[in-house]
Amino acid sequence: MVVTARRHFVFGVRHHGPGSARSVLGALEAYAPDALLVEGPPDADGLIALAAHEEMQPPVALLVYVPDAPQRAVFYPFATFSPEWVALRYGLARSIPVRFMDLPQAHRLVPAVTVEAPESASPEESGADELPVEGAARALRLDPLARLAEIAGFADSERWWDHLVESRRGGHAQVFDAINDAMAALREGEAELPELESRREAYMRTAVRAALKEGCERLAVVCGAWHAPALVEPERKGAATADRALLKGLPKVKTAAAWTPWSYDRLSFRSGYGAGVDSPAYYDLLWSCAGSPPVHWVTQAARLMREKDLDASSAHIIEAVRLAEALAALRGRPLPGLEELDEAVLTVMCFGNAAPMQLIRRKLVIGDRLGAVPEEAPVVPLQEDLARLQKRLRVPVSADEKDYDLDLRKPIDLERSQLLHRLRLLDIAWGEQREEHGKKGTFHEFWRVQWHPEFVVQLIDASRWGSTVADAAGARTLERVHTTASLRELTGLLDDALLADLPAVVEALMTAIQDTAAQGGDVVELMAALPALARAGRYGNVRQADTEMIAAVSDGLIERICVGLPNACASLNDEAADAMFGHIVAVHDAVNLLQRAAQREAWLGVLGHLAQQGGLHGLVAGRAVRLLHEAGTWERDDVERRLHLALSTANDPGQAAGWIEGFLRGSGLLLVHDEGLWSLLDAWVTGLAGEHFTAVLPLLRRTFATFSAPERRQMGERAKRGAPAGVGAAVATDAFDFERAARVLPMLARILGAAEEPA
Amino acid sequence: MIQDNETTVLRQHAEQQFAQELEALAGQDERPRPPSWRLSPWAVATYLLGGKLANGFVVSPKYIGNRRIIEIAVSTLATDRALLLLGVPGTAKTWVSEHLAAAVSGDSTLLVQGTAGTAEEAIRYGWNYALLLAKGPCAEALVPSPVMRAMQAGKVARVEELTRIPADVQDTLITILSEKTLPIPELNEEVQAVKGFNVIATANNRDRGVNELSSALRRRFNTVVLPTPATADEEVTIVQTRVAAIGRALELPGDAPPIEEIRRVVTIFRELREGQTADGKTKVKSPTATMSTAEAISVMGSGLALAGHFGDGTLRAGDVASGLTGAIVKDPVQDAVVWKEYLETVVKERDGWSDLYRACRKEM
Repeated sequence: MVVTARRHFVFGVRHHGPGSARSVLGALEAYAPDALLVEGPPDADGLIALAAHEEMQPPVALLVYVPDAPQRAVFYPFATFSPEWVALRYGLARSIPVRFMDLPQAHRLVPAVTVEAPESASPEESGADELPVEGAARALRLDPLARLAEIAGFADSERWWDHLVESRRGGHAQVFDAINDAMAALREGEAELPELESRREAYMRTAVRAALKEGCERLAVVCGAWHAPALVEPERKGAATADRALLKGLPKVKTAAAWTPWSYDRLSFRSGYGAGVDSPAYYDLLWSCAGSPPVHWVTQAARLMREKDLDASSAHIIEAVRLAEALAALRGRPLPGLEELDEAVLTVMCFGNAAPMQLIRRKLVIGDRLGAVPEEAPVVPLQEDLARLQKRLRVPVSADEKDYDLDLRKPIDLERSQLLHRLRLLDIAWGEQREEHGKKGTFHEFWRVQWHPEFVVQLIDASRWGSTVADAAGARTLERVHTTASLRELTGLLDDALLADLPAVVEALMTAIQDTAAQGGDVVELMAALPALARAGRYGNVRQADTEMIAAVSDGLIERICVGLPNACASLNDEAADAMFGHIVAVHDAVNLLQRAAQREAWLGVLGHLAQQGGLHGLVAGRAVRLLHEAGTWERDDVERRLHLALSTANDPGQAAGWIEGFLRGSGLLLVHDEGLWSLLDAWVTGLAGEHFTAVLPLLRRTFATFSAPERRQMGERAKRGAPAGVGAAVATDAFDFERAARVLPMLARILGAAEEPA
Repeated sequence: MIQDNETTVLRQHAEQQFAQELEALAGQDERPRPPSWRLSPWAVATYLLGGKLANGFVVSPKYIGNRRIIEIAVSTLATDRALLLLGVPGTAKTWVSEHLAAAVSGDSTLLVQGTAGTAEEAIRYGWNYALLLAKGPCAEALVPSPVMRAMQAGKVARVEELTRIPADVQDTLITILSEKTLPIPELNEEVQAVKGFNVIATANNRDRGVNELSSALRRRFNTVVLPTPATADEEVTIVQTRVAAIGRALELPGDAPPIEEIRRVVTIFRELREGQTADGKTKVKSPTATMSTAEAISVMGSGLALAGHFGDGTLRAGDVASGLTGAIVKDPVQDAVVWKEYLETVVKERDGWSDLYRACRKEM
């Protein structure tokens, strides 16, 4: 009738509104258009046809990005209940021309010349429409129908739409006319549109005019309700000239577009269509459910609770629906919305306990549906890069677990390891590194690899960091470096960055570590950071990274540790001493690993200071003496004297026990085989007077009991053999033929990999 | 008669104290009312939450806080499900239940106080033994409980502290709530509830587990949890309104307490309750007491009495100090440490709080 006689019809919709979607479908069928324009990026016009592909399963998103700088990207998500999606599918099914008509992202993704381009903005935000505008006006533009619903007393704009359609009865088309009028009224009170908004509308009008000029008889235009009034009269006098002036000389970049799978979880974020959806799963229900949505929703909630072994009977469902209806009536709403349902379930089924509601929110309000796109659809550059790497490195994508033993000396294995490490830095846990028992070496890595479909979403998310795996991992880690202030985390990252072979990140990390170490006063922090650095210095050789810098930074760390350690060790309780013990051992190993002469000397100097420091916890003091003994700094006599002193009867037994534990902890096997250590202890024990021996026996037992049974048995056997072994060894040392021994050295050096021992 | 009552009675029932508001609401209320209800659900919610009527009459708010909670409670009563109000002590459970009953049935006196000694007779019916012996079992000898009277009249009955009542006695409510009848086997009769009958019960979160509700009984209740006030401003408003009302009722001499003093007391209560200072920078220990709004009100009330009777009528730091100490230090050893630590680390450092600090130190 009147409606079908119009040459073009504007459908002002609510983005992602199931009510709008139903009305659009109904109105389209009534209007039977011969061409269709949809608000969306014309950059992706070539991809529209794929929407009808049978493998295409919403939620999906159109990604438009700048190929040279993929972090400049914007997503246009679609769910089954999105009016735009419904319109696209309608047009494709009828084989009528379907086009997008928004201002192309080619103009909008142009790098901002001014300072206001926020670097840290997420892709959704950097792409999303506007320059900063005052919140209220912006929110109104993004979801004007929500505001109207609010004025009408509805908390849920979807229920308001239903109410509107039902109360109008004239059919869906009349609703859109009413929406256009309402929007025109809303827009009257608003200040002038921001520049970008006017340009977008100018472009849309131009697109409508172009389509009309092409000669279509019934053009359907689907756009956000806010823009609807601007498109009703595109051929108004002077409009074309004004629009041309607005759109003249806009800068432009090259863009590319791709379909990507999306998830309901991510639908709840803001995106290219502005406002996100708070409750995708609920909207899905509103769209797909033919009967009464409240009953279906509460029933699903009850079933979910039963799955989790919570009581939820049919009587509960009935009562909850009744309460929701009573609540809606009290609030003057014709039908209960999500708010009322939520409150009813909380009150009736959860007995006021909010914990189960979290689950309901996750499953029934947001939902966990993941979309899929056909294989032939173009993909994000990062995905492409990963697929290329997977092919080249022969690590196929599989849903099953597969184990890899990587030999890092082989180039292909090294690259595989780097790829897995880089993905981990992007929070994509494709591979999980494992410790293989009995095979520990710097040349080997063991990985268990398993692909999860949700990695695709994470990849898309990660694509804002870069278009190749290496770039993205680098940029992501750099960002973390700049936001982390904890030394421990920084050195942890350093490990990762070296393993992932990201030299630029390593450099930035070094600077960050140096700065943080200079500022931070906590010695324990510094000590915890050093081992990772030392490992990095050593792995550097295997991985061909520049280790000079690491050496410089670690030197600085060691110096700071040496200065602060004596104070840090004063007055430790048992727990703190235990932790300190671990740190000292780790730092000692790290210092040995680094092989820096000056730093080693300084460290041993501090250990010497510690060994003599009064009031030190026995555990720490004992270990300091032991380490000095191992390093050869202290002579045997010195150590023996210390041992006697520490275990004198006048000492507090707790302190003495701590000392001997610190001296011997974890070295049972060493004791069996290290002649020096053995004879030292032996001499001390045999030199004790009978009574004194009885007194220290419990203390010794406390430590020796921690050794494993076979170790203790070996010690016993060795003790039974008695002194001769020790004496014999000592004699042999005296009659040492240095010349003959020297002849063996070259062969030994070859066997040990030509690495010459220091000193 | 009513005039008499107003001047001599220490505390009036809600329906007496706010009779004018209820009348005004009933006059303006044109929405549909559930059977036997004095007001429509909308008007009941307005009575509790306050608001301005079409004719300009201002209804004072009885409950300051989340609007949704009251809406859920009223809707529950409208669906003839029983209502269970849960919350820590001092979150206005009893207050809300009294006003709900007053607004819905115009009668908040049909009350069963739950204690460990509450017997079945308190919920069902008892006997007048003299008559029972003289005439045998007959309707005359029956002594109806408040619940039974509510059933007969189609009114709202209230059960206070439901979880303190022994479990077997609690369960007598099941038949009443599901069948809406109360059998009297002695007379071979039954009382069937008239439309409009319902039950509002309150229970204490902290006492949970004393006599946990059986799941059969729990299923008959809709549970609404009353939270502690969400913001400091909300809590200050509550204390201010209630203290002013108490001051009027007890005819205390002197001025209303200054808002700054109320704000200080509320701040102390909130910080101790939440275990950190309002700016979120310092952790503080929490005392064993619940630190409820009700206690803050009583601290202000006693301060007001002190200032009125023994001071010059103006509330000062010294007047609230003893009340504060009494409210916070419930356990003489543990709480004293908590309170002292709070005084030294928080109160002492705060600008303009030195008078309060000195006054509280004197009390320790």
